[in-house]
Amino acid sequence: MNTHSTILLLFLSLAFIIAVVFITVYRSSKRKEETGGMINVNKKRLTFLLVLASLAIILLSVTLPDSPYYLYANETPSKVVFVGAQQFNFNMAYQAIDPKKPITEAIELPANKMVEFRVTSFDVNHDFAIYNDKAELIAQTQAMPGYVNMLRWKFYKPGTYNILCLEFCGVAHAVMRASFTVN
Amino acid sequence: MICLFSKAQVKKYNYSEESRVYQQVADITISTNSDGIKKLSDLYSESPLIIAFVYTRCIGICNPFLAELSQNISLSGTDAKQHYKVLVLSFDTSDRVEDMNKLAARFNFENNKHWIFATTQQADILNKSVGFNPIWDGSRMQFDHEALLVGINQYGYVVKKLTGLRNPDDISLLLRELNGVFVASYQLPGNNSLLSCFTYNPATGERKISLGLLLLIAPFVFSLVIVFIMAIIMNRRLKNTAVPHHYAGT
Amino acid sequence: MNNILKLKKITSAWILAILLLFVLAISFGITMRFNQANDIKLSPVTFYSLMTTHGVTMVGIWVVAGMMAVNYLLSRYVKVSNGLNLFAMALTVIGVVMLWLTTFVGHYHTGWTFLYPLPFYTAWEKWATPVFLLSLGVLGIGWFVWSVGMLWQILKRYSLPQAFAWQHFKKGHTVETPPFILITTVTLVGVIACLLTAVLLLILYFAEYFSKGTFTNDALLMKNLTYFFGHTIINEALYLGVATLYELLPEVSGRPKFKMTWYVAVAWNCTLLFVLTAFFHHLYMDFAQPQSFQIIGQVASYFASLPSASVTAFSVIVLIYKNPVKWSLTNLLFVVGVAGWLIGGIGAVIDATISNNFVLHNTLWVPAHFHTYNAMGNVLFSLAFFNWAAKDFQGIASPLRYDKTKIFWLMVGGFGFVLMFYIGGAYSIPRRYAEYPNEFTNAKLLASAGAWFAIIYLWAIIVILFNIVMKCIKMFSVSE
Repeated sequence: MNTHSTILLLFLSLAFIIAVVFITVYRSSKRKEETGGMINVNKKRLTFLLVLASLAIILLSVTLPDSPYYLYANETPSKVVFVGAQQFNFNMAYQAIDPKKPITEAIELPANKMVEFRVTSFDVNHDFAIYNDKAELIAQTQAMPGYVNMLRWKFYKPGTYNILCLEFCGVAHAVMRASFTVN
Repeated sequence: MICLFSKAQVKKYNYSEESRVYQQVADITISTNSDGIKKLSDLYSESPLIIAFVYTRCIGICNPFLAELSQNISLSGTDAKQHYKVLVLSFDTSDRVEDMNKLAARFNFENNKHWIFATTQQADILNKSVGFNPIWDGSRMQFDHEALLVGINQYGYVVKKLTGLRNPDDISLLLRELNGVFVASYQLPGNNSLLSCFTYNPATGERKISLGLLLLIAPFVFSLVIVFIMAIIMNRRLKNTAVPHHYAGT
Repeated sequence: MNNILKLKKITSAWILAILLLFVLAISFGITMRFNQANDIKLSPVTFYSLMTTHGVTMVGIWVVAGMMAVNYLLSRYVKVSNGLNLFAMALTVIGVVMLWLTTFVGHYHTGWTFLYPLPFYTAWEKWATPVFLLSLGVLGIGWFVWSVGMLWQILKRYSLPQAFAWQHFKKGHTVETPPFILITTVTLVGVIACLLTAVLLLILYFAEYFSKGTFTNDALLMKNLTYFFGHTIINEALYLGVATLYELLPEVSGRPKFKMTWYVAVAWNCTLLFVLTAFFHHLYMDFAQPQSFQIIGQVASYFASLPSASVTAFSVIVLIYKNPVKWSLTNLLFVVGVAGWLIGGIGAVIDATISNNFVLHNTLWVPAHFHTYNAMGNVLFSLAFFNWAAKDFQGIASPLRYDKTKIFWLMVGGFGFVLMFYIGGAYSIPRRYAEYPNEFTNAKLLASAGAWFAIIYLWAIIVILFNIVMKCIKMFSVSE
């Protein structure tokens, strides 16, 4: 199961629990006789909040180290790809790109080796999003004018990868794309 | 009026700083006074290297550039733990080792183990491998060139380049990256930094707050101020009225 | 005409205007979904103009819906100014007309987030950019003056510590702050901060606009300012809805009023701070943002939901569980709204986790979660208020006939509609695409299904609205 399915399943399970709680509470309120409501409210509230807070702390400590800013930080990239996004295409080259004379090269990257994408924009904000051949989003970074974002990634599976723009950038946003191959 | 906002208006992208990044530097031969003739690889395999490109006849940027660099390195809070050497290399093949020694003496670097002053006969090869393009101007007898620092890691790869006179933060970021720290983003030079949010302070791993970030906080602070001022004005009136309790009634 | 009658008439006018814009904005949304499904064919310019109109209109109406509801209920505690209320309404109408002109006549289409420097890359009528920015200014000024006016009235009656319920932090206090007053105070401070940010943003835009190229802005700062404004205003709009819930839910359910306690006081004081830094989660994929801010963003996103949402949900459950509750459309809407808010909140917290955001950012997961806590959360809080107010205007109670059926279809439509977005997000389908690339094989089907569910939602809304609208229209013929 991929990351996306796991996330959806997690979400649906939690949504289901919330629905069950609310339906139960709603049904309990329709009795004719006064049953006195919830007992030990203060204790239950405290437990409820403590459980949620500890859950939040655990989740934070587990998920924060997985943030993309720390990916492959101790390795030297085997290849650097420069990306200059502009309305409405991605210029990609092995060398830095002059915005006045943008060039774009066919990019081929080695499998199982770390590569670094240096992503910037020549005009408005874009987003450099890498999709695999099953159209699953696997990595991304924003392309912002004036800044270069470095996305490090290792491709294990050879094949064609597509780049889509994930930040609304104007009328042709949906057709702004590029691709590269991994051998 | 909006046509003023052409694409040229958005910040200038200085791509020359990114050329040749993560490319292998040419392993040229250099002459130093202290160690004689050496290969560049002898230096960078010992510790990461910052190459500063100068020449002794320069009446322009070279001297301020070196002065700035030495000051910035000391300001950047670099401690002994960080490995680095600064190679001040003449790209003028007519420079002799003695000329470079005089330059070193002028900056009191003769006995500093972090600083090496050297000449080379293979400047063209090196220049090409790091993307440095000085142009000789025969009428002025000067090179037309930019102030360039090139950071080389222990494997001989260009890790980062800095052009122009830079602040201590940029130098510190260069030193950190040379020592293997990954910083996932950097700002391109030539930006209007007056209103940017942050300036890097890699020595402490933080970024300094600049005017831009204050702008981000200002509205909240200002809204609190509005509330406090109103509360102070009202406070006097409140003292004379009864304490509110639940419904005021309509 | 006495003040209260005047307030009722102004509130009726607000309700009618909001509902009209709501129905139109939903229709734009449905049109967009059908276009994505290829069931109809719009030009991308039309699609993105509709998208911009849909976004700004929805955000705008649910902010004012919260504001005018709070204004109405505030009259129970303090004197409120009908003049300011009318002033805000006038500026809102002017602002909305200007906005719709830019999108429908000027074809302006930057999305409601108008991320810098996109507004300057004019692919529309050249006048549309300044008019769009100006219209935001007009709305902002109206709401700012209104918010400050309401806070002024609160502080006239309650001292500063009382307005923030600080006396509840320790035992032995004599004055009780109603929860409604605390939440309203906290939220209005947030609203004012948002609106000041918007003003700053507009100043920076116009500075660049008039500088003839000598001044350019920093894209990262502008993005931070944009999301501070955009994210926070939506959060505060929701909290305005929550304030009405605290005031009205016990009352219409025949249960004792919510009492202020120390934990409610602490929770909402914390919310004031947490909500202001949670917006950082919009910039996770901007690696240029300092990492400390990214971490603060995730921590604040987790903890912002704890005090407000969890405390509210728990209080609502305690109010209802095993207690005799008088169910009506009003409290059903409130309770379903709380559930929708929580479910949307779960979606939001999942997305606000940086490592998840790496594969969810700007996919359909984003509209999925914010439509959940808006369309099935905040909107229902406001509709509950409308329904209650329409009755309150004339003191006529409507019977509980078919109310459960209406709610049922509202839930089928609403949750079905957002589920299509969630599934789309899990399939990595990008948001804000006028048409989907072929590799997203399920995208068109999901869009079509989403549109049909939205039609069910719209139909349920119209049925629920009918009574409210009739009562509001009647209000105009009422005289003393």
